[in-house]
Amino acid sequence: MLNINRPDGSGQKTSIKVLLGLGLLLLLSGCSSSSSVTVDQEFPTVLAVPKPVSASIVFDESFSTYLAQPNEKTQIALGTAQVKLLRNAFTGLFEEVEFVSSKEQITSTNGLVIIPSVREVQVSTPSDNYLNVFEVWIKYNLDIETADGETIDSWFMPAYGKTPDAFMASKSSAIEDAAVIALRDAGAKLMLDFYRIPAIYGWMMEQQILEDSK
Amino acid sequence: MNTLTKFTGIGLFLIVLSGCTATTTIDEYRPSTEAIDLNSDEKVVILGRRDAGHYETDREFIQCVAGKMKGADISVLPEQTFIDSIYPWFEPRTAPKGLPRLKRLMQDPSVKAQVDRQSVRYLVWLDGSTETLDQGGSISCAVGPGGGGCFGFAQWDKLSVYEAIVWDMTNLQEMGRLRVDSEGTSYLIGAVAPIPLLTPVKSDACSSLGNQLKSFFSAP
Repeated sequence: MLNINRPDGSGQKTSIKVLLGLGLLLLLSGCSSSSSVTVDQEFPTVLAVPKPVSASIVFDESFSTYLAQPNEKTQIALGTAQVKLLRNAFTGLFEEVEFVSSKEQITSTNGLVIIPSVREVQVSTPSDNYLNVFEVWIKYNLDIETADGETIDSWFMPAYGKTPDAFMASKSSAIEDAAVIALRDAGAKLMLDFYRIPAIYGWMMEQQILEDSK
Repeated sequence: MNTLTKFTGIGLFLIVLSGCTATTTIDEYRPSTEAIDLNSDEKVVILGRRDAGHYETDREFIQCVAGKMKGADISVLPEQTFIDSIYPWFEPRTAPKGLPRLKRLMQDPSVKAQVDRQSVRYLVWLDGSTETLDQGGSISCAVGPGGGGCFGFAQWDKLSVYEAIVWDMTNLQEMGRLRVDSEGTSYLIGAVAPIPLLTPVKSDACSSLGNQLKSFFSAP
């Protein structure tokens, strides 16, 4: 702490001024518009009966530690949460599923190989959209291959979440809530639409899986 | 003269306060005038619609209505508990918007089993929001070495519109609809200290809707 002792007592006054200045700076930093958010959320188990399909899901390091920077003032650490969410969702889709961090670790010799990646993350705040909502879009891409490495499809999977602006609520917490809703939406989209992808449907017909699972 | 001034003051204060009451209208439709039977082991779940682009039914309002119903000995399952237990079938993207979709969803044995396991007999969808319509006036506050204060006058109108739809989860049919409109004006008077005269529009909408929903059900 800066404390200048002078015989006339002006040193004490200076130290009070410095302290007040620091306090003001601290208060102003609380009003900063930049946000750094870490999403670390548990997700509910999906309510679904998995189909008799085996799959290997590759969560590479760039995906499991993904840090989104939708604009220069916002950072969202999505890696851990999106891995948790997709683990949960894929377990509800496939009867046999293994999670690996690289293609070399795959042990399954048949079934699907899915490599998820994030294409883009976008954020919109009330000052951008003139609505009382914070919005988060996460655009995923699922590269789907056979165990032999043959490409089945590259599926674009957008997810969206929004949360209302609340009086005195922080921007970071609103963005985090919207990101959690967007992740839940990604799980819902996957559960709802995965087996509707024409290429997956065709592959399942080829493998005679649909007949078996009826 | 002194007494006359006091009476005038009280009169003016009462007039200002009377301006702070919300005007609430409730429209109700149900096929039967008889209350819906709800056994002691059956529950109601109140869910908010969140699929609209520019607003979402806020959780605070849902909790408020649920609180009003709980007060009448009606078992209400918390919204998030139900949504999590049935994930992902009641997310904004997947939640059934109409009875045909609900019927299709309830044909899934795992979904039906989860609804039955939690003894959810009725589902109430709430859809709506509270918006500020008009605002006028201005108020400014200043602080100086000799003190500070606020001067001026501001006012704003708020409108709450909510609709409730009750679904029977066993017979898969609609049991009734309610719509509440609540409107009121709030004031902020700056007379050195800011004096807020707030009209509880949303709270009034919640009480009216909650009390009317209670009358739908006859608790054991």
